[in-house]
Amino acid sequence: MRVAFLVNDLQLSGGVGVVVQHARRLSELEDWDVTLVLARPQDDASWHGYEDIADLHVCTREDALAEEFDVAVGTWWETTFTLFELAATRYAYFVQSLEDRFYRTDEAERLGAALTLDLPVAFITEARWIADTIAALRPDATCFLVRNGIDKDVFAPLTRVPVNMSQPLRILIEGSPTAWFKQVHQAVDAASAMRERRHVTVVSGEREALGGVPADEVVGPLSFRELSELYARSDVVLKLSRVEGMFGPPLEGFHRGATCVVTPVTGHEEYVEHGWNGLITDWEDLRGTAQALDMLARDRHLLHFLRANALETARAWPSWVQSSQFMAAALLAILREPPPAAAPAAMRMLADVRSGIELYNAHLRERRLFAHRADRLDRAVALARRTLPVRAMLALRRYRVVKLIAFPLRPLTARARRLLA
Amino acid sequence: MADWQERITHETPPAIRVEHELRYQAVAALILSGGPWADLGCGNGLAAAAALGDARPRSALLVDADEHAVAQAARELGIAASVQVVADLTERNDLDRIGGHLAVLGGEPIITCFEVVEHLERFSPLLEWAAALASERQATFVLSVPNDAFWSIENPYHRTMWGEGSFAELQRLLPHEHTLMRQVTLAGSALMRWDTPLEHELQVLAGAAGTVPSHFIAALGPRHAEVDVGAHVAQTDALAQRRWERQRESEVAIAAEAVKEMEATVAKQAGELRQQTKEFEDWRVYIHELERELGRPLSGSAEAMAREPPSDTTGAGGQDAAEPAEPRA
Repeated sequence: MRVAFLVNDLQLSGGVGVVVQHARRLSELEDWDVTLVLARPQDDASWHGYEDIADLHVCTREDALAEEFDVAVGTWWETTFTLFELAATRYAYFVQSLEDRFYRTDEAERLGAALTLDLPVAFITEARWIADTIAALRPDATCFLVRNGIDKDVFAPLTRVPVNMSQPLRILIEGSPTAWFKQVHQAVDAASAMRERRHVTVVSGEREALGGVPADEVVGPLSFRELSELYARSDVVLKLSRVEGMFGPPLEGFHRGATCVVTPVTGHEEYVEHGWNGLITDWEDLRGTAQALDMLARDRHLLHFLRANALETARAWPSWVQSSQFMAAALLAILREPPPAAAPAAMRMLADVRSGIELYNAHLRERRLFAHRADRLDRAVALARRTLPVRAMLALRRYRVVKLIAFPLRPLTARARRLLA
Repeated sequence: MADWQERITHETPPAIRVEHELRYQAVAALILSGGPWADLGCGNGLAAAAALGDARPRSALLVDADEHAVAQAARELGIAASVQVVADLTERNDLDRIGGHLAVLGGEPIITCFEVVEHLERFSPLLEWAAALASERQATFVLSVPNDAFWSIENPYHRTMWGEGSFAELQRLLPHEHTLMRQVTLAGSALMRWDTPLEHELQVLAGAAGTVPSHFIAALGPRHAEVDVGAHVAQTDALAQRRWERQRESEVAIAAEAVKEMEATVAKQAGELRQQTKEFEDWRVYIHELERELGRPLSGSAEAMAREPPSDTTGAGGQDAAEPAEPRA
């Protein structure tokens, strides 16, 4: 079985980490030949943090074009640009989130990412909410569910949760500060609004982008093993994300004996149970989040109850070995089944393109309207500048005494001056 | 010693035996309908025999990783035309061998695979094989997995963890035409006259909101919809259960004692080793002092090793030498 997983790069990230794990585990199976294809040219390939990646077959897009695969799998929306360039018997798309949500409404990538869900491919996804969404969007398409495993060597479940009765509440905040939907700064603000004693650690690979934050400790970038050790020293993982796929970090924390305080973000329903193994706070409710953290800092019985149940939840979560068995079964099924029909996919894509065109048209109309208004204003200003009183007033500006007299009126005349400037 | 009983035996707690029997009862009509029956992971056949009562299928393929279990299942079921196969269900070759046996038996096979998948570290070959058999040979395949995830049960015999999430993953791999079922645990009691056994019909509501399944069952293939629903209640065999519980406690106590003795032995030997290491160190220091006084290289040093005469090859280790050693003068 020859499988190609397309990735944009091998930078340390949750999404790429999942693909690397699958590739690694599948390549250990008999008669499986797995290749990681770098869809984008790499200036500086950084593989920091990926253990055993040296054992994997990694190649460039150009090298992959000369090869033939049984199944080629796109793993991020931009990799689908390369997907159909590869020679493969079947094409699949491993969807780790609805990636259009990573972009704001006025970003062109939003439509591009959404359109990739219309491709004539078999889908594989890692969370039930994504599988349900794809089933609703593309009832014609096959969608397999392969939940992410956890590396039980790196995030080894603790034998038992150590009790923290007297130390400050140890809070861990993790995520990219440049990704708006990770809400890292909001999490830091919520922790800062606490009244009880706490020790806040922020993990970020982008320290400059993070800026100065009111945290006791800022660390990163960390390897997965270093992160695991940090989880083991934490009581709570605080994540206020607005967009997540499978929502891995709190689950990794669970393995190391930390509970979580999280928003009801997509993916949390897979394993977070409010009041059982974690606490769920409301959207944009920093005060409520701070109160939930204060409650855990005060009520150490509740804290330990949640942490103990979090560890039990973690024990029941599948390992990567099990997860890759489902991935293997899904890829075999994709190869066995006939390829998806192109017509329904094309129909769906054209419908989305049409709505994209309408959206684009609306933006253009809006832009024309603004341009027209601006033009009218420009003309009015030009006309005003040519009138005698205005010309005289502008001429008076040369005199210092006029400037001094007019200075107190500046707030009142600011708008008029800007227009005439 | 693992504190687990994984095989169904006469001493298995009744609740667990009933669970197993009920699954076989659900497919009993299919098993007895004429096609060959293959029981993957048949164990010792107790649950199947109890569920089938006096009826037996025309032909059966009994498959397990343990040859003693297969032989016992054959005895327990007493099916004249039964084929016993010892196989590893993670191996494609073994699965093909089972497929070959089924082809010889002919007809549309009914394949049961209860409480097996969780014992396999690699289950994708089995799922692939089952899907192919269902489409190519019109086989009906029924499997079950436990809901270990709910209680976070870490069964030492289970290689994979199953629960609602894992079953959802499995469900997506099934062909469009399939039947899903969930099994729940019942508990009860009965009250009767002092010396008159009671025969009483029960009505039970199972599966209402908030129900947590103990097992998940999936059926695929042309006759997937014929897997039956039902409930089965049995009187607790307190004598047998007590025997098993006490036996387990007794063996755990013996094992604990053995571990304690071993730990004591290890501690004693560790102490002796520490003492001997210290003595050896003292001797080494003393010998080195003597060697310094005599102006000889220190034992163990590179210089001393270089001056060592070559070792004698005529000893026991020298028997494999290519050339015989020369006799010494």
